[in-house]
Amino acid sequence: MNANEYQGSFLGRISIRRNQVVVMDAIHEQELEDIELFQKHVSDRFSELSSPSDDDAVLSISWLCKLLDVFLCCEAEFEAILLMDRDPYQLSKPPFDRLIPELLDRAVKALDICNAVTNGVESVRHCQKLAEIAISALDQKPIGDGEVKRAKRALSTLMAAINLDDKDGTNAKSTERSWSFGRRSGNKDRVAGQFRSLSWQVAKNWSAAKQIQSTIYNLVAPRGAEASGLPSPIYTMNVIMIFVMWALVAAIPCQERTGLPTHFPVPKQLNWAHSLIGLQEKIADEWKKKEKKGMAGLLDEMQRMEKSAQSLIDFTDSFQFPGDAEKLQEAAGHVAELTEICRIMEQGLTPLQMHIREVFHRIVRSRTEFLDVLEKASLPVI
Amino acid sequence: MDGCQSTEGDLHVVAAAHHIVKALGATKNLTDDLRKILIDLDTHLSMITSDTDSKGGRGFVDVEEQLKQAERKILSWESDPMMIWDSGPREASEYIATVYEIQTLVDGLRRLSVHENREQKELLHRAMSVLQTAMSRLEEELIHILVQHRQQFEPKHMSSRSTRRDVVYDESFVSVEDETVKETSSRNCPSDEIGECIVDLVCADVIPDIKSIAKVMFTSNYGPEFCEAFIGVRKEALEQYSAVTEELSIEDVLKMEWTSMSSKMNKWTWSMKMIVQVYLASEKRFCDLVLGDFGSVSSFCFLEISKATILCLLNFGEAIAMGPHQPEKLFRLLDMYETLADLPQDIDTLFSEEASSFVRLQFHVLLERFGVSSTAAFEAFQVAISSNGSLYPFPGGGVHPLNKYVMNYIRMLPEYCNILNLLLKDQHVDVADQVTDPDNGPNLSLSTSCPMACHLRSITSSLESNLYRKSQLYKDEALQHIFLMNNIHYLVQKVKGSELRLFFGDEWIRKHNGKFQQHAKNYERATWSSVICFLKDDNPGSSSVSKSTFKEQCKGFRIAFEEVYKTQTSWCVPDPQLREDLRISTSLKVILAYRTFLGRNLAHIEDKCVKHTVEHVEKLLLDLFEGSPRSLRNSRRW
Repeated sequence: MNANEYQGSFLGRISIRRNQVVVMDAIHEQELEDIELFQKHVSDRFSELSSPSDDDAVLSISWLCKLLDVFLCCEAEFEAILLMDRDPYQLSKPPFDRLIPELLDRAVKALDICNAVTNGVESVRHCQKLAEIAISALDQKPIGDGEVKRAKRALSTLMAAINLDDKDGTNAKSTERSWSFGRRSGNKDRVAGQFRSLSWQVAKNWSAAKQIQSTIYNLVAPRGAEASGLPSPIYTMNVIMIFVMWALVAAIPCQERTGLPTHFPVPKQLNWAHSLIGLQEKIADEWKKKEKKGMAGLLDEMQRMEKSAQSLIDFTDSFQFPGDAEKLQEAAGHVAELTEICRIMEQGLTPLQMHIREVFHRIVRSRTEFLDVLEKASLPVI
Repeated sequence: MDGCQSTEGDLHVVAAAHHIVKALGATKNLTDDLRKILIDLDTHLSMITSDTDSKGGRGFVDVEEQLKQAERKILSWESDPMMIWDSGPREASEYIATVYEIQTLVDGLRRLSVHENREQKELLHRAMSVLQTAMSRLEEELIHILVQHRQQFEPKHMSSRSTRRDVVYDESFVSVEDETVKETSSRNCPSDEIGECIVDLVCADVIPDIKSIAKVMFTSNYGPEFCEAFIGVRKEALEQYSAVTEELSIEDVLKMEWTSMSSKMNKWTWSMKMIVQVYLASEKRFCDLVLGDFGSVSSFCFLEISKATILCLLNFGEAIAMGPHQPEKLFRLLDMYETLADLPQDIDTLFSEEASSFVRLQFHVLLERFGVSSTAAFEAFQVAISSNGSLYPFPGGGVHPLNKYVMNYIRMLPEYCNILNLLLKDQHVDVADQVTDPDNGPNLSLSTSCPMACHLRSITSSLESNLYRKSQLYKDEALQHIFLMNNIHYLVQKVKGSELRLFFGDEWIRKHNGKFQQHAKNYERATWSSVICFLKDDNPGSSSVSKSTFKEQCKGFRIAFEEVYKTQTSWCVPDPQLREDLRISTSLKVILAYRTFLGRNLAHIEDKCVKHTVEHVEKLLLDLFEGSPRSLRNSRRW
């Protein structure tokens, strides 16, 4: 191939490397090494996530933050492999002309999920506030009917919020429920009507479950020759992104999670994927169990909160002044647990939102960079 | 008040004081505060006497009696279908006073060593229970007041900018008469300048009532419940109002087609201004009025009420900024950018606390992104001009659609002068067409040298290059010149007839006037020189030529003329004035030459060879550049 042949035509923009086979080989070698290293890192990071310490139970707030960090690290490496020193033209040829747009489509869906989840964290925060009211009521000594009533109201609202059917989180419904004070009804317990409207601030027909489902659609592991080239890390990144989004949706309340897929079509023989698949199966099992009972979501702190709140509601139901000493002690224990959870939430929810926000920005930036590269590759030369 | 031994004398003083307090308490026209003080004092005095009598003497009975009375009052309201605050100010203040009474009782009971005395314990328990009932009721009342006395928030009329037509390029632009696009100078439209304006979101009359409820609830440590209810109602009110901007997912926004995206961007621009500058400013003031006495509670509540809505608005902005930056988006993007650029102070004021810093951050990030997007769209526009290629020459040589598109597009840019100058100031511009304006005053030179002006000149320069390339597609040199004449003339007219002239300057206009005039001359030369050639007088000295020469010349001229006629009647000079000027100029040359020629050869004029009279030629010339092809061959028109 004579370099001169290509001069003057737009094909001349093809990397000069094409003419230098020896150099090509070396570069290809380097690329393979980078890909292998990338996948090893992925494997290591997810392995670490699979064996959490006491403080970081799977799907706890701090664990989620770690998961998001893992995403950011993997993404940075991935971007470096794909884009650094890359001839833009290469990424516009098959199979990348299909793989890259698919990746970017999934990225957009991930962005919407980030927004929905950020919103969901707000509802967790709301639960925290309600729990704090209950705590301050039951922290009084001695506990009387007044305090118990107060706690019960807060806890009932809390439970209603937790078990809120994701679909009901629209403005219209809460308006009907809350403020219909035409005439005072005899019913003193205005619990269900008291909680704030929990509008999801997402599009009406948007469904987290459907979004996840559509990201999994068309996710096919590269085969044959492709499996040892760039398509491989692209596939890996896709899987990581989907997993992270899926875990967030499973943990944190957001709109319309019924029908959340529990199976990922990731081939087990991929060695970087072992820990990830293990985690996924574990979380999926939990999800299936929970799905039958209600939609609280799997966030560790929320599960604990639900348990304690339910126990305390039982306590308030059976309370009679001055109260049974043993029961009071038990209740105090639950209150302590609730206090601890609220403390964790107080410290951890804002950082969690910031992490999600960072992931959001990174995905936006990365998408822009990919689009820029693709544009360069497709610019016509007149 | 611990159980210390009091002397007889002390007890008498206390009893006397107690008596006075009771007497005072019975008088009418007591303010809430004074009443509270007296109740307080009454209770404390009761405590003193009760303290000395550990068997629950007269003082203690007072406490129990007080509690019973208060309890009765509170519980009687529970079975009443009426809302307390609907029933009148006296009922309301009595209720509140009762609650304060209970509070004081509770405080007092707590201060005694309660765990030893079973009755005291029971009283405290009972008092707390009543208090809880009261607090629960107060919450209901609060919600009722907030809902009942909500004011309708009437948004002002939307600015006329939204009705401006979008400029999108397509070949059918040819059919659009751009003269009918009247640009209203809506920049100075008053409704554009909403500015900060505080309105009453809740009827101002009930604010004292809400405050009194707040005070009593906070004093009883029921602040969280107050906030829950308050935030709930206010948040819902805001969300009902801002339902104007429906929530859309990023995916939806990116897939949206242009016309609906454009209208949503408009809506957003207007909503953003309205919500931040008016609604949220008013809401903040309302929160301050109601909760100003409780420190950071006010800003906490405001943040909780407003954050979902403001974040939703900002998210839409982000989705737009993420989209592809096509040229037609530029004006909507600039609108949105300008809106955001107007608001940093408002945002910083509304969300000034540490806890709300994330709102400020997101806002500023978005502002920056919009700057980038707008610049990108502008660049895309410039690229679109230079890359617009044609395979075939534009029929008729008239004004090319690309020209119309570009000129109509840039005609709208001066409105965004300030913001564009800001965006473009660091951008290098390749201006082949440097303009020096030595004889212009200082003001104008600023206009013509600002970044936007430089870019404008670069744009027209690029357009001219493109038009030049397009002209090369014509085989006929004369048509090339007609084409360029038409198009440069159009360019100049557009600049002269709009605010663009301030940015291009007189020098540029002069220069370009010269250009199209030059093309006109070139056309004449290219077309008519060869035609008129036939009419030349080879022998100026002699009086006439031979008959055969004359015949030849006549024929030559006729054929050439008819050829030109056939060809150039299908050519187009859209501008009437230009057409007229060109005809006159052509006419002068041709007619003069012809008349002279005929005049010189009067002797040879016979019917057959002179087919056209001078007048006829004159008339035929009028048919040129009409755009409808005609032919004279085989026709006998006289």
